[in-house]
Parts: sequence; C-alpha cells; structure tokens
Amino acid sequence: MKITFPHMGNVYIAAKFLMDGLGIDYVIPPLNSKRALEIGTLYSPEEICLPFKIMMGNYIESIEKGADTVILTGSCGPCRFGEYAELQMKILKKLGKNLDFIVFDLPSDIGFDELKRRIDKIALKSPKNKKEKVLALLDAYKIINLIDSLEAKAKYKAGYEKEKGECKRLLNECKKEVLKTNNPKEAISILKEYHRRIDNLKIDKSKNPIKVAIIGEIYTIIEPFSNLYIEDKLMDMGVSTKRTLSPSWWVYNTVLLSPLKLTARKIRKSAKEYLPIGIGGHGQECVGEAILSYKEGFDGAIQIFPLGCMPEIVSKSILPSISKDKDFPILSLVVDEMTGEAGYQTRIEAFIDLLERRRRYVLSRS
Amino acid sequence: MKVGIPKGLLYYKYKPFFNTFFEELGAEIIESPDTNKDILDLGSTLCTDEACLPIKVFHGHVEKIKDKCDLILIPRIMQIYKREFICPKFCGIPEMIENNIEDLPIITKAPIYLFSSDKFFKWAYETGKILTKNFFKIQKAFERAQNEQKKFKEGINDKGYALKVALIGHTYNIYDTFINMNVKNKLNKLGVGVITHEVVDDNVKYLEIKKLFKRPFWTFAREYYGFISYALKESLIDGIVYLSSFACGIDSVIVELIKLDFENVPFLLLKIDEHTGEAGFDTRIEAFVDMLSRRKRGNLA
Ligand code: SF4
Ligand code: SF4
Repeated sequence: MKITFPHMGNVYIAAKFLMDGLGIDYVIPPLNSKRALEIGTLYSPEEICLPFKIMMGNYIESIEKGADTVILTGSCGPCRFGEYAELQMKILKKLGKNLDFIVFDLPSDIGFDELKRRIDKIALKSPKNKKEKVLALLDAYKIINLIDSLEAKAKYKAGYEKEKGECKRLLNECKKEVLKTNNPKEAISILKEYHRRIDNLKIDKSKNPIKVAIIGEIYTIIEPFSNLYIEDKLMDMGVSTKRTLSPSWWVYNTVLLSPLKLTARKIRKSAKEYLPIGIGGHGQECVGEAILSYKEGFDGAIQIFPLGCMPEIVSKSILPSISKDKDFPILSLVVDEMTGEAGYQTRIEAFIDLLERRRRYVLSRS
Repeated sequence: MKVGIPKGLLYYKYKPFFNTFFEELGAEIIESPDTNKDILDLGSTLCTDEACLPIKVFHGHVEKIKDKCDLILIPRIMQIYKREFICPKFCGIPEMIENNIEDLPIITKAPIYLFSSDKFFKWAYETGKILTKNFFKIQKAFERAQNEQKKFKEGINDKGYALKVALIGHTYNIYDTFINMNVKNKLNKLGVGVITHEVVDDNVKYLEIKKLFKRPFWTFAREYYGFISYALKESLIDGIVYLSSFACGIDSVIVELIKLDFENVPFLLLKIDEHTGEAGFDTRIEAFVDMLSRRKRGNLA
C-alpha cells in the first residue's frame, strides 16, 4: 500500500510525518502546479468547482509516482465536497487507474463501526504498536498546529518587518528544512526553532501597515496555488494578512468540535445579524469573519472563492451590505482554471491602493 | 393582508401548500406572473453575477410583486428529507433577496424543514404570527395546507408515444415553460413522450441508490439517479434529457454521475441561461430524437 492525499495548504507536511510516524509508505503529490491543474481539468467535469480539478491532478501525478491508495476527508454538509470522492473514484476507474479510496467521513454520517473499519485499513498496515500509533497521530496534530501558526505569524509580521522579505524567506526556508527529515520529533523541533526566529525578527513597531483579512471558501484560501499565491503577493506589498481558516482550524472545529456542535462559535455568532443560519460549505464563516475583521480594526477583507461555489455566492450577496453598513471595503475574487495573473494582480493592487487612500483621507481630516 | 408568492424555485412543487396556508389565514394572494422576459432581465440585473439562472429568475419574480404586497414568501427550504440536503442557495435565499433588492415589504425568513410535521409547523407558526394572533387558526391552516399538498399529483407520464425519454432537472426548470422554452411540447411534437421522476415512488429510488459508494446527501441526486436507474431496469425509457442551468453546482455532479454510471444510454444535456437561443436548442433536440429513432429501428430490425 502506497498512500497519497490531495494538497491543501500545509496538510502535506503533517500528513508526511503522520505516515513517517506510522511507518507507512506514501507519496506526496508534487506541489500544485500548472501541470496538475491542466491534467486535473482534462479529466474533470467542466462545471465542477476548482478544488475538484486540482485534486484530480494531484491523484494522477501521485499515481505516476506509484501511489495506489488515496486518503481523503469527506465532509457531510450540503456541499459538493462530500460528493467528490464518489465521482473521483469513478472517473479514475474509467481511466483504468484502480485507486483505493479511504474516505474519512464523520461518524455521525457513516457510523463508528464504518469509521473504525476505514481507519483500520490504514492502521493495520502500520508495523508500529498501539502506543506508537497514537503518538504518531499526536505528533502530526502538533505539527499542523505549529506550521499553521508559524505561517500566520509570518503573514501578520510581514507588514512590520525591518528588512523587507524576511518573513517570507524564513517561512519558505522552514518548509524546505522540515521536509528534509523523516522524524516527527525532529520536525517539531525544527518548527519550534523557526517560531523562535520569527519571534525574534526585528520589527518596526512604528510602521502601521495595511491589514487585510482573507476570507471565503476554505480550499481556495488555504491552498496558495488555487488563489495565485495571494498571501505572498500581499506580503511582498508589505501588507499584514490574517486568515482564520486553516488546516488546523479545520481539524479542531470539524473533527473535535462538531460532534459537540460547538464549531466556530464566535465566528458564527458574529455572522448572526447577516446570515443567521449555516448554509453549507463555509458560507456563514465567511460572513462572520468579515464582521470580526472589521471589529478587530482591519482595513479591509478579501473574499476568495471558486467559480460556481454555491455557499460563497450567497455570502457574496451579503458582503456588500456589510461593507456599506460598516464602511468596510471588501473585495471579492473568483478563481478558476482560467484566472489570468495580470488582471488578478491589478485588482489586488487597486484594492490595496484604495485602502491606503482611505487611511490618508481619514488622517488628513483628523 | 396581501401576501406575495413569487413563481420561482420550489413554488412549482409546494404551491398547493403555500397558497392554501395563506388563504386560510385570510390573506389575499398576489402571485407573480409566469416567468417572462421582463422578469428574467430584472433578475439578472439585481442578482449576483455568479448565481445560477433559477436564482436570478426568482429575484425577478420578487422585484415584480414587491410593491403590491405586505409580505412576500421567500421559502428558506433547508431540508426535504432527513439526512439529505437541497442546495446552499435555498438555505440563504432570504439573505440574497434582502441584500440584492431594495425597498422590500416583510419577507418570510424562518427555515423550513419538511421531513417532520413538527419542525415544519415551526415555520408555519413563525410565519402565521405575522398574519394572525390566533394559534388555532394557524394550526388549522397548516393542516388544511398539508392536506392540499398531499392531494397534489406531481409528475409527467406521457402515454402513447413511440419513444419515451426521462426528463430530468430541477422542478423549476422542468415546469417553468418560459425558462425551458417548453421543451416537453417540443419533444411531444417530435413524437417523444416524457416521464419525470415524481412518477416513481421514493422507496424505489432509495433501493436503487444502494449501489453507490456513498448515499448521496442531496435529495435531487438521490431522486434523479434512483429514478433513472429504475427506469432503465424496467425499460421505461429510450433516453435521458437533462435540463440544467449554467452554474448549477448540484447538476454538475449529478450529470457526471449519470453519465459515468449509465454510459451507453443516449443522453442529451440541455443547459439554459439568459442567452440560450431557441434555434440552437431546437436543433439539438431534433438531432437527439433522430438518433433515438434510428437506435430504436436498429434494435427492432
Ligand atoms: S464550498 Fe464551494 S468549492 Fe467547496 S465544494 Fe462547495 S461549491 Fe465546491
Ligand atoms: S440547485 Fe442548482 S439551479 Fe437550483 S438553486 Fe441550487 S445551484 Fe441553482
């Protein structure tokens, strides 16, 4: 058994060390690229949302490297993601590629026995004893938290750094370094080391950078390739960014909290006034995040979602009202396989310009 | 009180319920006109670009009657069956309407869960309160309305045609003859009868979807897939005509599922949006029907 999994932000880092810890063979799909997208698009239904297409590209590139089993988290909300596995399996089968899919759905949907059966499919392949397996899982959880929080720090601090580009450089260096080892414990200490470095980074507190929140559909905001590396672009522009949704956020809220119905309470509460009900995907979170970032003093928010994304079309209808009521600029960006770099960059720059002008205007008046 | 009922989305399915309910509460019902060019254009202008046609059309219907009534029914249908969902846009439709259309009268916002009478009654109570203070009146209206709905015979099952196709698609695409340019008529004229999924019992559909890896959590997916699977098994149909609107996320999945699993069945996908031209539409239908007849003759010979 050679396991693979689709890309989604930093997930591959945690997944790698989970497999290392379990002693199971795996293939990390090549980082998302034009090629993955092109192959994926070729074999996907035309009107399906972008994440599906990129994921298909990941599978096929992993198969080329010998993978025979895919692990995937299903989600059981009213959105397409939950139907992905069924379609993807069938399409790959038609292509003559017999991949085994192990889908982790929530026990509320498939029952504990079925979930256990699916976990066993992997766990039984591991030569490690029970205690080691649990440790491997805990380490992976630590790792995803460490890398996500490191990334969050870097992206926020980018607006304050004395030496331009330091945050981005450190972050990229860290991701490279950590992949060099196969030992989860070592990975953890590398990540901690980089946390220290970022913490000690020289910053200019007097700078008052533009602050932007990244909100929208979870895949397209987490997976940098799908949003044409918007956070990197903003870092380069000296903008501080914040994004609440991340793989570790997802694990915490979906796997740990959702059985207790406590998912994302604060965000959802903030959304109440504008969208009182969960509509599937992360539509309500998007609205809640917009309000929260306004309250936290951000200059604006950028919503990103794939073309045709159902829940985000609902939130997109609501955001202009929030923007108007709170006098809080929000830019909506729709991405698909045709999104062109040039026009995209221009829109982001124009938005940041607007935020800067607003600041000057306010300052000159006060 | 004047209650506006927009003729869009699941109006076609739940019209007996809603009309009876509001009438019983003493309201004067103002239905929007059948979909027309004006409504379509209004909807496209008001609604978010990325939305699908049915949502845009619904916006048009609301705009058309908003000045004539005191309350507009915006059905936020969350679930029809337990453990199944419909579409995120249905769940957020009151917010879309509210944010895209100005100067609205009161709109109904309470969520509708149809799978249990108790839960459904919650909606009736929340909404009924706007019209009357009398709890029993609401209860009675609710019961009457439910009875009316039960009597409503849904579905099309044409008899006496040489060829027959399954006409698949969301209720509002199948029964809104403006949106679909009266596709049923076109097929009938070419000697093709139509059958829709409502004709087949739900339990049968549940059995048919057992062969999927995962129980679809969309009601629409279960209904269409289950129906086709059954209709093919029983040789009820010669082909499938799927009526879909551009940018429908749900259809993008169901269409693929059907194509993958029923590979050798003649399949025509008709996609509609505000720019669909009737001529091209007709040509495609004719070509498809030609193919069906040739196949049938081939099989008989
Ligand atoms: S939330 Fe959007 S991108 Fe995600 S599955 Fe649903 S439609 Fe696709
Ligand atoms: S089911 Fe499709 S057509 Fe209907 S509202 Fe949802 S996206 Fe639009």
